[in-house]
Amino acid sequence: MAVSDTVAASDAGAPRKQRFSSDLPQVWIGMALIAVTGFLPSFLGNSYWVHTFQLVNIYIAAAIFQNFLFVDAGQKSFGQGVILGLGAYVTAIFFGLHDYSFAMAAAIGLGAAALGGLLFALPALRVQYFHLGFVTLSAAIVFPQLLMTLDRWTNGINGISVEMPELHHEIGLGLSPLTILVAVYPMLALWVHYFIRRSRLGRQMRVAAISPEGARSLGIKPGLMRFTAFVIAAIGTGICGILYLPTVAFVSPQGFNVELSFVFFFAVVVGGRGQMLGPIIGIWIVFILPNIALAGFVEYRLLIYGFLTLVTVILFPDGVVGTIERWRARRGVAGRGEQAFRVDAFLDRLKGDRVAEPSGNVAIEVRGGTKKFGEVIAVNEVDLTVREGEIHGLIGANGSGKTSLLNVLSGLSRLDSGSFVINGREATRLAADRIANMGVGRTFQTPRIYPQFSLWENLKVGMDARTGDTGSDMDALARALEQEFSEDSAELLSHGQRRLVEVMRTVLKEASIILFDEPAAGLSQSERANFSRLVRFLSRQMGKTVILVEHDLDLVWGIADTITVMEQGRIVASGNPEAVAEDPAVQHMFIGGRRA
Amino acid sequence: MLDVRNLYAGYGIVPVLEDVSLTASGGEILLIGGENGAGKSTLMRAIAGFNKPTAGDVLLDGKPLQGMAPEAIAQQGLRLVLDGHRVFPELSVYDNLRMGAAARRGDREGFGKAVEEIYSVFPILKERHRQYARDLSGGQQQMLALGQAFVAQPKVLLCDEPSMGLAQALLPPILAFLRKWAEAGTAIVIVEQHLSVTAPYADRAMIIERGKVRFSCPASELDDRLKEMETAETDA
Amino acid sequence: MLLEITVIVVRGIAIGSIFAMIAMSFNIVHGATGILNFAQGNMLVLGGFAAYFLANAAGLGWWLLMLPVAGILIAILVAFQGWVTLLPLRSSVEQDSWIISTVSVSVILGAAVLVTQGPFTYTVQGVVPSFRILGVRTPGAYALAIGCMLFWFFAMRIFLRKTFLGLAISALRQDFDAARAAGLPVRRLQIVAFAISGLMIGTAGFLVAPVISVSSDAGLRYVLNGFVAAVVGGIGSNLGTLIGGPLVGVVGMLTAYKIGGAYQDLASLLLLIAILMLRPQGLFGRSSARRV
Repeated sequence: MAVSDTVAASDAGAPRKQRFSSDLPQVWIGMALIAVTGFLPSFLGNSYWVHTFQLVNIYIAAAIFQNFLFVDAGQKSFGQGVILGLGAYVTAIFFGLHDYSFAMAAAIGLGAAALGGLLFALPALRVQYFHLGFVTLSAAIVFPQLLMTLDRWTNGINGISVEMPELHHEIGLGLSPLTILVAVYPMLALWVHYFIRRSRLGRQMRVAAISPEGARSLGIKPGLMRFTAFVIAAIGTGICGILYLPTVAFVSPQGFNVELSFVFFFAVVVGGRGQMLGPIIGIWIVFILPNIALAGFVEYRLLIYGFLTLVTVILFPDGVVGTIERWRARRGVAGRGEQAFRVDAFLDRLKGDRVAEPSGNVAIEVRGGTKKFGEVIAVNEVDLTVREGEIHGLIGANGSGKTSLLNVLSGLSRLDSGSFVINGREATRLAADRIANMGVGRTFQTPRIYPQFSLWENLKVGMDARTGDTGSDMDALARALEQEFSEDSAELLSHGQRRLVEVMRTVLKEASIILFDEPAAGLSQSERANFSRLVRFLSRQMGKTVILVEHDLDLVWGIADTITVMEQGRIVASGNPEAVAEDPAVQHMFIGGRRA
Repeated sequence: MLDVRNLYAGYGIVPVLEDVSLTASGGEILLIGGENGAGKSTLMRAIAGFNKPTAGDVLLDGKPLQGMAPEAIAQQGLRLVLDGHRVFPELSVYDNLRMGAAARRGDREGFGKAVEEIYSVFPILKERHRQYARDLSGGQQQMLALGQAFVAQPKVLLCDEPSMGLAQALLPPILAFLRKWAEAGTAIVIVEQHLSVTAPYADRAMIIERGKVRFSCPASELDDRLKEMETAETDA
Repeated sequence: MLLEITVIVVRGIAIGSIFAMIAMSFNIVHGATGILNFAQGNMLVLGGFAAYFLANAAGLGWWLLMLPVAGILIAILVAFQGWVTLLPLRSSVEQDSWIISTVSVSVILGAAVLVTQGPFTYTVQGVVPSFRILGVRTPGAYALAIGCMLFWFFAMRIFLRKTFLGLAISALRQDFDAARAAGLPVRRLQIVAFAISGLMIGTAGFLVAPVISVSSDAGLRYVLNGFVAAVVGGIGSNLGTLIGGPLVGVVGMLTAYKIGGAYQDLASLLLLIAILMLRPQGLFGRSSARRV
């Protein structure tokens, strides 16, 4: 397969690919919708709608940050109303009761909101999932109680009124500064969400939200990601609180009860989780519908929120925008078969200037490693030495402990006894992210592919995890991959190709030690040949250390410098390929075993 | 008895199996081999209802099973023993066997007899019948997993990698048990990595490669056919 | 002084028993489905409403007759909720839609009570007379709460360890796929688990109606305190709830007496954060809370 052929063919022949992600168009549509609802009522001079959409647009901004927290960071918070309330109330206290300047009061209010976010974020360092849902929900219940009780500071049930006439003065075309502020802020929030999502931080957050294990093997601390997300969302929502104050001109405990938090959460679900437009459509449906269209039934408001959300979850789990988006995406889906992802086209770009040979230095050394699961001993008193720059084949029957050993080496599980050293550093008790940041990369038997990302972004998370400087040919490789795969979906790849994506990801991570877990399973003969070339290249031209767990014995014997055989958690043979092939423990694996 | 015709299946929208057909009749053992990732486990899981086939038929005594939930398929008499000696760790050995009877409720006498039979084949299970299953060794757990399937007396037994994680010496007694079981009239399908150890206990064999059937043959000819295939590939 | 301590401890343990029962009703459903039912607090309140409408100021005989009726009514309601909640899980890849659906059911129930019964707190007269402990007059419902907790604890212990149905439900938690392969009717078992949790919480609500706040907005507070009790004890451990529930109850009472009633929920929240930071798996739990 000639390199230039594949690239040229797909460049010239294929029609323009459908956009993989509709985030950007959605942001533009969102801007337009906010602009129309934010400005048009002022042009028309309808003060009722002016005021209504001022509040709606603030809520939209809060829902945008809820959306970010919910999908990009995977955290379900039922307490975003508390954050908004903190921003509004604390600003009101200092501005309205203590005569601070608005700017000063707002700064203090923002600080309070950020502190509230910290309260959510601290437990997020340790736990996730439903636990944080309960923490945030508790906060939403406690907050209005505290506002009532701490009446010495908050004025209790009487609330605080403020007046800021200068913000309501018309400055032309019927617009007031406030109208402009509260329309521009949600637009800004959309862009903030969009750019975070496209940034390294945003990708790492999403990886941590989808697969904590995959994240840790890329050097990401999932707890830290959750923490950061809560703090970002708190700052964004706190600003909503500050804008709330001049818009409503009054704060009272009833304004910040649980219901407010539910509005933001439910809006994201109904609008479409993760969609840029979701919060806008969601707030329109969840907030405007019961409050305006059904204004005569105010007491039924909560009932309507609840039913809308329940029906959405049961019938349209993707929400309004998500359902449309899915329909769009399905139309554009087309597989490219075995051509969908190949590595050979890119090998030549890695010129690798040196010719390396396995050195005498030790890259990994395991001493007496034992790992048990209950009564079952997965790794039993293993001693293993892997030299720098060598390709080390690790073979054995299914269940003989190879993957358990890889999990130990990458820090995903811990030895019960024994120890191991990586590049001369004691690593037995190090967390997976620390080990990953020492330059260890790995692939999984079930590849970690993130369907939310384009194929290129799936590779780019490897680059995001780089610890050192990059070489210029690596940059060239990255650019080529980006050009080729930035609009491709990763979801359609076969399992074999998914493994290759993971392999390429570790290459882009520029790990110095790479652990491959059955990378060739499901690959065709020609893909296998390419894979062998790649591994050889990694070792010889780039000087990387490779541990290769693989069942294809021909492949292993074709490229490995050293081979270790495991059985029942123990190492039964180890040495150069010729010697190991003669070992009686290995002989039976060849007889009728190649197909196993 | 079990008749699988032109089965297509996969995970999500990624196809794994293409056009796989196989049959297994009462009293015989069909051995399925193939590399990791070839789709053996997917095939077992698709037949047993764990992932829905996108096309094709799974017939048990002529009755279609495809599209049914796994528990319903088990109730119909097709029982999958998952790989990795999976038992209920927090239940006692005896209670694990009791769970097996879920697929044949109301037959107390038959259940008692089946349990006695299992205890006589694997006396260690009787010895430890009050202990938690988590305290058994991997091999004993595999015996228990098979015992749990046995008390249900299925018409068809699918057995995914019984050797997984076990010492090779443990495999022959387990295979001998399966052989005896088959001879009592059950159709058994075994997915195994240790083909040479397993083939003598099987009647027919089938090799799967990249989601498709590469060939099938009498189990006694498996070794020769594999060598033939390898030579052909090396030459190519 | 002694008097105060007695009040705090007795009331704390009694109110804590209610939290413990919510926690136990979490456990059975969580074990079978991985779901934590956010609506469970409202179900407790509905049990209280059942007592108000079916047996307020009734005689002992009628009251005893209505107890199982209330339990069964709530059990049916929770089973139906469970069926709805499990619907999207049948096919969807995303397995956490239950958080959204149980929260929305909780909101719907609270709102429905608000719309039909108004924002009032209903008073239910107890059937069991009050009694004295160390000279402190104690409502009979407090004794009922503790008794009900112990009853359900032992009932669940026997159910989950001895009966086929109970063993099958605990098997679901241990290995869901293996349970399906064995032919256990998993959906039905899960609905049964929901129903049992409803039976538990319905009878609890009925019995303790005189001492809980039977109103539209009380449900969320109970479910949160129940969750804190479950986390303190370790989610999944019924033994843990016997410690966790009373602990949360006593901390709440202590706060109410020493600082002020308005700070009770704040105390629970701080307790929750503390336990999540220090020992996320709880006192008796295995490390399931900390999913890396």
